[in-house]
Amino acid sequence: MKMNNDYLSIKSLKVEYMQNGQALTALESVDLSLPQGKTGVIIGPSGCGKSTLLNVLAGLNPRYSGRVMIDGRTPEGGGETALILQDYGLLPWKTVWDNVILGMQLRKKTHRATKTAAEAVLDKLGLLPMARRYPAQLSGGQRQRVAIARALILDPKLLLMDEPFSSLDALTREEIQDFLLKIWEETQLTILLITHNIEEAVFLGQKIFIMSPCPGKIEQAVDNIMAGDYNLRGRVQFLEMCSFLRSFLHRRGNYGMGA
Amino acid sequence: MGWVLKKAGKTLPLLSAVIILLIAWWLLSLGLKSPAVPPPLEALKSLWRSMQGDLPAHLGVSLYRILVSLFLATAMAVPLGLFLGKNPEMDTKAAPLIYLTYPVPKVVFMPILLIVLGIGDVSKIVLITLIAFYQILVTTRDAAKNLDKEYVISVRSLGAGSWDLYRHVYLPGCLPSILTSLRLGLGTAMAVLFLVETYATQKGIGFFILDSLSRMNYEEMFAGIIAMGLMGFVLYLLLDKAEKNLCAWIHT
Ligand SMILES: Nc1ncnc2c1ncn2[C@@H]1O[C@H](COP(=O)(O)OP(=O)(O)OP(=O)(O)O)[C@@H](O)[C@H]1O
Ligand SMILES: [Mg+2]
Repeated sequence: MKMNNDYLSIKSLKVEYMQNGQALTALESVDLSLPQGKTGVIIGPSGCGKSTLLNVLAGLNPRYSGRVMIDGRTPEGGGETALILQDYGLLPWKTVWDNVILGMQLRKKTHRATKTAAEAVLDKLGLLPMARRYPAQLSGGQRQRVAIARALILDPKLLLMDEPFSSLDALTREEIQDFLLKIWEETQLTILLITHNIEEAVFLGQKIFIMSPCPGKIEQAVDNIMAGDYNLRGRVQFLEMCSFLRSFLHRRGNYGMGA
Repeated sequence: MGWVLKKAGKTLPLLSAVIILLIAWWLLSLGLKSPAVPPPLEALKSLWRSMQGDLPAHLGVSLYRILVSLFLATAMAVPLGLFLGKNPEMDTKAAPLIYLTYPVPKVVFMPILLIVLGIGDVSKIVLITLIAFYQILVTTRDAAKNLDKEYVISVRSLGAGSWDLYRHVYLPGCLPSILTSLRLGLGTAMAVLFLVETYATQKGIGFFILDSLSRMNYEEMFAGIIAMGLMGFVLYLLLDKAEKNLCAWIHT
């Protein structure tokens, strides 16, 4: 079966939270699969459990039922999976340099290996001149790049991103999207990204997963051959795909509100 | 040239504050015409004389009591506070105990401590420690509790265990609050210090002040008050300096 070849495979995932003594089902029978080296984008209404799904994949929430496999193994923190959050999760009390080397430090890498890797990754992201600054002294786009550097220094196989560009202005956002694509082409990373932005989904996702409102499940998985093609941004095909997704989401949105 | 201006920018307000205080004191002593409020110059002269005498020894004893107490309180309250802030389940269990004992004015235990631990330094240090402990504990715990969960999640996703989280997230993230609570704790500790030193002891700045009072040597009493104030001021400055160095990220 094709299933077994997928780098990322989720079968009947269910996650419940306790809220004020009541069980709240955040995810119900989620099925999702993504082959090695592909990009997937999850899109869906607020509160449908997208972040919950990423937390499970990042190994931060072991309290789930169902089958979740990353490269044939159950998810665990600190492995080959990196997580980047909306507000980047950079530590304000560490400089750019110290933020970036944190993962290496936690993995007890040697001083020399850490230094070499940090210089390489900071240079690649154009951050070397600001290595001694604190996150508060950076622009939003620069902070986002630091967060990417902090993930990339660990050579991850799977990159999970939770609304990574939502607090950036349009221009910076496109810059970083392009940048992410470049990294993806170079490293053959598998990327799973959450967004609220439909254009972003079509530009970045070779597979687009549409989620239903709470309890979330994958409503539809759309194959998208236009992902990563700069020339298609703004073309008719591209816009058609966007409006297809939009109408789908709106239908779900209304349904969700009516119920 | 630049640093001269910068230095002046800090010293000038301090100098004017001192002058204002001295003038206010002087006016007060003129108005009251009471021997209990001598003019500042007399007090300063007396301070000069006492500094040649036994005042430094008393100050040393007090400084020792304050420093040991604050150190012990910090060493116990910070780890416990971080632990409770990080683990909400433990905090809900410990909260009733903390809230029942926190508002009890600890000074009421002084007689008991004197009986149990004797009239030496131990009873005094225990009392000051106890009071500072609560202040630091509650502040640290609240700071750890309110720490942005994004930090914890992102660092855990990098592979951090519990110990790493304390080291890289909780301790540095709560350090500004801890230092603030230490500054507040210092103020309370000084007040309690005075209280415990006026009771069954022959040493310490509190004894010095009260002893001068009983001999109606008001100049010397004010010398003691000034010395105690200066001691608190210097300790406060040191904490301020520590905060500037340890929490450089806030001051950029
Ligand atoms: N730690 C938690 N404890 C209890 N309930 C939670 C917890 N985290 C999330 N939830 C609930 O689970 C549901 C899904 O939350 P989640 O954060 O995964 O949504 P989301 O799709 O990421 O939303 P958004 O697009 O707004 O970020 C929500 O109803 C939320 O209230
Ligand atoms: Mg979310």
